[in-house]
Amino acid sequence: MIKSKLRIFSISLVALLVVTSSGLVFGAWYLKQLEDEVSKKFEGRKWVFPSKIYADSYFLYAGGSLRIQDLTEKLHRLGYFETAAVPKSKGEYRIAAKEGLIEIYLHDFDSPTEQFKGAPIRITLQSNVIAKIENISDGKEQYFVELEPELITGLYERIWQERKVVKLTEVPPLLVKTILAQEDERFYRHFGVDPIGILRAMWVNLRSMSFRQGGSTLTQQLVKNFFLSDERTLSRKIPEAVMAVIAERKYSKDTILENYLNEIYLGQRGSQGIFGVWEAAQFYFSKPLTDLTVGETAMLAGLIPAPNRLSPYKSADAAIKRRNVVLAKLLDDKIITRKQYDAALQEKLPQRSLVKVTNEGPFFVDYLRRELEENYSNEILTKEGLRIFSSLDLQLQRMAERALANGLKKLEAAHPALKRKGEDEGLEAAIVVLRPQTGEIKAMVGGRNYGKSQFNRAFQAKRQPGSVFKPFVYLAALMYGGQSGTKYSPDTVIDDSQFTWAYDGQEWQPHNYNNEYFGAVTLRKALESSLNSATSRVAQDVGIRRVRDVAHKMGIQSALPAVPALSLGAAEVTPLEVAVAYATLANSGQRNRPLAVKHVVDQSAKVLERRDVRPERVLSPQLAHAMNQLLKGVLDRGTAASARRSGFTRPAAGKTGTTNDYKDAWFVGYTPDLLAVVWVGFDGPRKIGLSGSEAALPIWTEFMKNATASMPVTDFAGPIVNPEGEDGKCGQVPREGESGDPCPAAAQPAKAAPAGA
Amino acid sequence: MLQPIRFIFLSAAAVCLTVYGCAPQSARRVPVPPPPAIKAPPAAPAPPAQEPGKQAFPPDSKIREQDIRQKTPPPPPAAKTSKEPGRQASVGESRGGAESAPAPLADDSSLLAKITPATSPQRAASLRLTDEGRKILDAGDPAKALTRLEKTIVIDSTNPYGYFYLAKAQYRMGRYRESLNFLDIAESRLGPEPFWLAEIHALRGDNFRAQGQLQRAEASYNQAVRLNSGNRSAADALTRMQGEAQPAQAQTK
Repeated sequence: MIKSKLRIFSISLVALLVVTSSGLVFGAWYLKQLEDEVSKKFEGRKWVFPSKIYADSYFLYAGGSLRIQDLTEKLHRLGYFETAAVPKSKGEYRIAAKEGLIEIYLHDFDSPTEQFKGAPIRITLQSNVIAKIENISDGKEQYFVELEPELITGLYERIWQERKVVKLTEVPPLLVKTILAQEDERFYRHFGVDPIGILRAMWVNLRSMSFRQGGSTLTQQLVKNFFLSDERTLSRKIPEAVMAVIAERKYSKDTILENYLNEIYLGQRGSQGIFGVWEAAQFYFSKPLTDLTVGETAMLAGLIPAPNRLSPYKSADAAIKRRNVVLAKLLDDKIITRKQYDAALQEKLPQRSLVKVTNEGPFFVDYLRRELEENYSNEILTKEGLRIFSSLDLQLQRMAERALANGLKKLEAAHPALKRKGEDEGLEAAIVVLRPQTGEIKAMVGGRNYGKSQFNRAFQAKRQPGSVFKPFVYLAALMYGGQSGTKYSPDTVIDDSQFTWAYDGQEWQPHNYNNEYFGAVTLRKALESSLNSATSRVAQDVGIRRVRDVAHKMGIQSALPAVPALSLGAAEVTPLEVAVAYATLANSGQRNRPLAVKHVVDQSAKVLERRDVRPERVLSPQLAHAMNQLLKGVLDRGTAASARRSGFTRPAAGKTGTTNDYKDAWFVGYTPDLLAVVWVGFDGPRKIGLSGSEAALPIWTEFMKNATASMPVTDFAGPIVNPEGEDGKCGQVPREGESGDPCPAAAQPAKAAPAGA
Repeated sequence: MLQPIRFIFLSAAAVCLTVYGCAPQSARRVPVPPPPAIKAPPAAPAPPAQEPGKQAFPPDSKIREQDIRQKTPPPPPAAKTSKEPGRQASVGESRGGAESAPAPLADDSSLLAKITPATSPQRAASLRLTDEGRKILDAGDPAKALTRLEKTIVIDSTNPYGYFYLAKAQYRMGRYRESLNFLDIAESRLGPEPFWLAEIHALRGDNFRAQGQLQRAEASYNQAVRLNSGNRSAADALTRMQGEAQPAQAQTK
């Protein structure tokens, strides 16, 4: 009996030992697992940083045009807020419309090449022209002001975490004390979990019969944010507590505090989450941490439990109420004096509204992203916090989008056949806007509705250019002359009658619009009226290979078959290529590569990449000028004359394009300073049945009228031929990479033309 | 039977944890590691073979900051003497190259002096910016100057001096072809200003020389000196070229 009892006892003892030791072993293993996880996080990458894409900066200068409304909209989007008094701190502005005054206290801003310190400036306007710019603080006159570029969008995975990491020493002690007083009073006295805190929280909650206090330490909150999902269960609390203890053992209080201050979620601006105290100070007060007042400090710390509910953007009353609770606690704890407390209670909250990232220009951003992906992996683009400075002009972008949407609506209203009910595929269009002298893409619209179709017709759709191609034929003619020996000039007489072009054992016959033929016409007339037969005849004389080469030189990169139909634009090209090629004309024969990315800067402000303006001389300035003059005629007298009737009056050149089968309608037109290409058509093989001047030109005209409204009127400057200059020497050996006579007959358009073909 | 085992197991784990938690902290302090450095993007791959007659955009479209840094200060020795316009050689100093040396032209290098009440606001702003760009260039930062100078031609696409200094910045960065292209635009936009035309020819000469096209360089320098005998950078370059040419000829022969 005793023996059996002894046996049971010993068995139980063994069992107990086994269970205990396996518990210990398991506990140790589990601890090791958690410890590894903690150190991996603390010592590895804690945060990811989205890359940000910025538009071009906005440049104001004395003498430039400026509409107050445009500027205030811009300032608003940049997070500036209006005050009634003279701006005293960064981010404030004041408008005195009667006196024509605008005062802005500029933000600090790091451009890729230099750092700008925010300063207060005063702009004096005289009837929408900037009369004077001065620095308010020292009264010095300033000739330019550069406003920081607008953020267009961010590149990120899943969620956009907006965060700037700061060191603990950069955080004002008052803010730290306030946060600790709110969130974890005994932070410096516990070991990660705080049993006393928990008991007290329980007592407080019990007494008030509601949930007033949580017992979580700051370390536990940090661990929760670092590792665990947001569920509030006991099973989550246990590893959280264990990891908090581990973190405290391994890392100093300061390290934990610093991580906490950078990690906490403090608000939401549209798709951007605001994380960390630095970012929050910027978001709520547009201030660096060191400039926060006592009231602002209290408000910021008070937000932690429920940043969106207590946000001053949501309700100023709720935010102030919460701030006052925090201030009372600070006074109780003797962290602030009575005087500080009274002053803080009096602090007013500036009226500000939330400015969200607009995610504008999605087609442009897609194009830009494609360019970036050639050099940077997705991992780097979404996690390393690059700043990408682009060429986009948001104002032009908006104008282009509006012109496109309005234009298509009007077309559908005027031609109901374009919009059949129940059809999925609607009429589409694309716009590319370039600055010829730099090649910068200032706006890009790749379709009607990005949400519905992300296909970017501006650079992905290959379409027949139709007559838009003709200027390349005439350029080749002016440049090389005909194989018949004809030297072409704008006044050369060409035969516009039906003919057949025999090649490679085949025959090809061009037809004029409406089968109308004009007989003997000048080259100028043939181009202005876009006569197919005359153009093909010139192409035949010059040689289609030369025509193709000229098109490539100008910037067409798509493959072009050297067949007769090429002369009338039968080979497919993209709107962007057309824009680049015509910009070469606008830029005196110097081709610029299209620029979307201008600078890529990493988090340490190092410039990783810059793309600058690099012109490539492909035509002589004389020839480019001659062609510009010819294409001005298209607007003044030719197929695009309706633009003039619609009120677009400034000097401009351009060309309409309509394909033989009426599937594509084009217009490309430019002033010396701005170029826009418009394409209209269906994605599929459907015909629109409208010409370029009917479908694309109205969109172009509306866009250009708005876009150039505040630009000075300029005309195409003819090259000044210096007798001593290189360009003055005709017949000189062409430079490397150049071909042909730099001074063709067209160089002197005023002179009498040689006999026609 | 299961309950007590679970109880014992959990309490053992809890004991374990408490002991761990209350144990003195290890002395290890792990510093916050700096964010990982981003590697510069890999060099652009070699351009694919091109179709005949088809010109792609310049393949060296990607300039990295390192490249820029490496390329400043400028490699050619001529750069040392290609002083800013306005640093006139005195008449007595002008030597070589100029066959008949007329009096040097008056210094017309000041861009701000070109701003008069009749100047258009665009041109005035563009000239002021060009002047800033020139100063940055003089301070030895062509990359920063470029950013400034590119704005000058956006504000006023007909400002020849903007193009001239863009050419100079490109030259300083060792991109001679681009520099020559900008000079072409500058020339086509320039009015009857022999002083500046001489500047353009002199810089053209520097570019040709850096490319090893010595004959063209000499022709450009000569044109510069013919236009303005006071163009010292061209005159000095000519003298130097003559000095270099003789030993080189002797060697080859």
